[in-house]
Amino acid sequence: MEKAVVISHLIKNFEVVEKKPGLVGSIKSFVSPTKKTIRALREISLSVDEGELVGFIGPNGAGKTTTLKILSGILYPQSGFVQVLGFTPWDRKPAYLKQISLVMGQKNQLWWDLPAIESFNLNKAIYEIKDSKYNQSLGELVKLLEVEKFLEVPVRRLSLGQRMRMELIAALLHKPKMVFLDEPTIGLDLVAQQKVRDFIVDYNRRHQATILLTSHNMEDLVGIAKRIIIIDQGKILFDGELADIVSQHATDKIIKVTFSKNVNIASLENIGKIKSLRLPQVELVVPRATAAVAASEILQNFPVSDLTIEEESIESIIRDVFKTGVIKKTKLKKTV
Amino acid sequence: MKKYWSVFKISFVQEFVYKANFIMWRVRNVFQIFIVFFLWDSIFADPGRELFGYNRAQILTYVFGIIVVKAFVLSARAVDVAGEIADGRLTNYLLKPIGYFKYWLTRDLSSKALNFAFATVEVGILYFILRPPLFLQVSPIYVFAFLVAVALAILIFFHLLFITGLVPFWYPEAAWGAQFLFVWVFTEFLSGATFPLDILPIAIQKGLYLTPFPYLVFFPIQVYLGKLGAIEIVKGLGIMAAWIVFLRFTTNWLWHKGLRVYRAEGR
Repeated sequence: MEKAVVISHLIKNFEVVEKKPGLVGSIKSFVSPTKKTIRALREISLSVDEGELVGFIGPNGAGKTTTLKILSGILYPQSGFVQVLGFTPWDRKPAYLKQISLVMGQKNQLWWDLPAIESFNLNKAIYEIKDSKYNQSLGELVKLLEVEKFLEVPVRRLSLGQRMRMELIAALLHKPKMVFLDEPTIGLDLVAQQKVRDFIVDYNRRHQATILLTSHNMEDLVGIAKRIIIIDQGKILFDGELADIVSQHATDKIIKVTFSKNVNIASLENIGKIKSLRLPQVELVVPRATAAVAASEILQNFPVSDLTIEEESIESIIRDVFKTGVIKKTKLKKTV
Repeated sequence: MKKYWSVFKISFVQEFVYKANFIMWRVRNVFQIFIVFFLWDSIFADPGRELFGYNRAQILTYVFGIIVVKAFVLSARAVDVAGEIADGRLTNYLLKPIGYFKYWLTRDLSSKALNFAFATVEVGILYFILRPPLFLQVSPIYVFAFLVAVALAILIFFHLLFITGLVPFWYPEAAWGAQFLFVWVFTEFLSGATFPLDILPIAIQKGLYLTPFPYLVFFPIQVYLGKLGAIEIVKGLGIMAAWIVFLRFTTNWLWHKGLRVYRAEGR
């Protein structure tokens, strides 16, 4: 299979001028500014196959957005090799730009004061989309995202969810082969989030487009991306199947018990670590291997009205990865 | 280029969005003309009076000329470049197969076209109300040279604006300051948009001509008024062309340097 994205030993630094707080601080930084180098990306390497949908996850400032910006040609790296669809992104050749798109959840490209349809028509001209292709593409996107009613409403009067869907249309009218999505669901309510997620999966399938999606929210990626890349402080911590990381890291299970009478909490601590205590409900963390034994012990020795054994949430697994900064038994994919 | 024609059209539509703003702006223009007209009209109340080599008809033509030339040259949309770079909106354009410089030049011309349409009507109406003794240039060669000068002035000013708009690549906070100082303060005083430059001492005038500013407003009007000989006109137009070439290279150079340090941060 063809590689859509190849990144090798990519480094990106930012120089920032530190601003000290207060008036005296401001004057000091004005007279003799102190510069600091931020290492946004520290030699990352990865590759993505054509048609793949990959989730990028990491906390704020991890380097996700920086990576997408380099891939879409907006930023120049310090060093390293990058190729997307056979192009060097920052050359920004029209032939390349016509095949890609970057959607940022927190930015907008639509003309604020005008109806979205005006921006779409402008993009049609900019990307030199043929009439027939444009009409077909617009019709399909408008229907999928259910925005027929809002096409003629000035963008500034749309809700965030409606606007985000319009942003997606504007970004996809030219049917890009490579789509970068930066936090596309940020700020949306649950229903709108789900709509956008479904749409992304659908778009990926329908057009065999390669999609790189970032999020700081794990839930965003479950059920969308099979492969995830975890990035923190400019380094890749994990690159592989979502299922793998769960099996590697979910070493514990959670027992949720509701008691029918007051119990001696101290004796519970012999069985497992207490995660939360809201009597009569208690959550215990126990090793995966001994979960069944622990459960039966509780049932025998305590007045239990309800008991369930649950998996750790993916969210907390990821948090654990970030906290420790290490991946157990990681098989980091080597590229190039 | 079809894509720039689309930019031209959407830019035109955008101008009409804030209707009240638009009307107020036009009203302000008309009042400005009134004020300047009555000021100079009273200074030259005595019909035989001549000051700094200007008689009544010429100074009033100069005043009307300022309004027309300013409407063309100094009204520019590209003031937004600085803001777009500072707050990261530039990213939107870098992602698309469109030239940022050409994009803004197109928006500028679109705004000028609109401005021109309205200015013509306004000046026409005011002409019939005030009946000023305007000086009509009859020589087609002078009129032609005037039009060429205005076209070149538009390009010079656009470049100046664009170059100062690039400052935020390095100093994002300076977006407004740089433009205000270098473009508005300097051009307003040094271009002849406030008073005819030939009332200044010769030495200062000579110094001024080493900058591009007098060519923005003063020079084109001088051409129209027939105050310059053929050689001076050709020389002036040549210098303007040279400025454009120089500014074009500077813009290009700064733009590519700027993109390297562009952080694409923002909102």
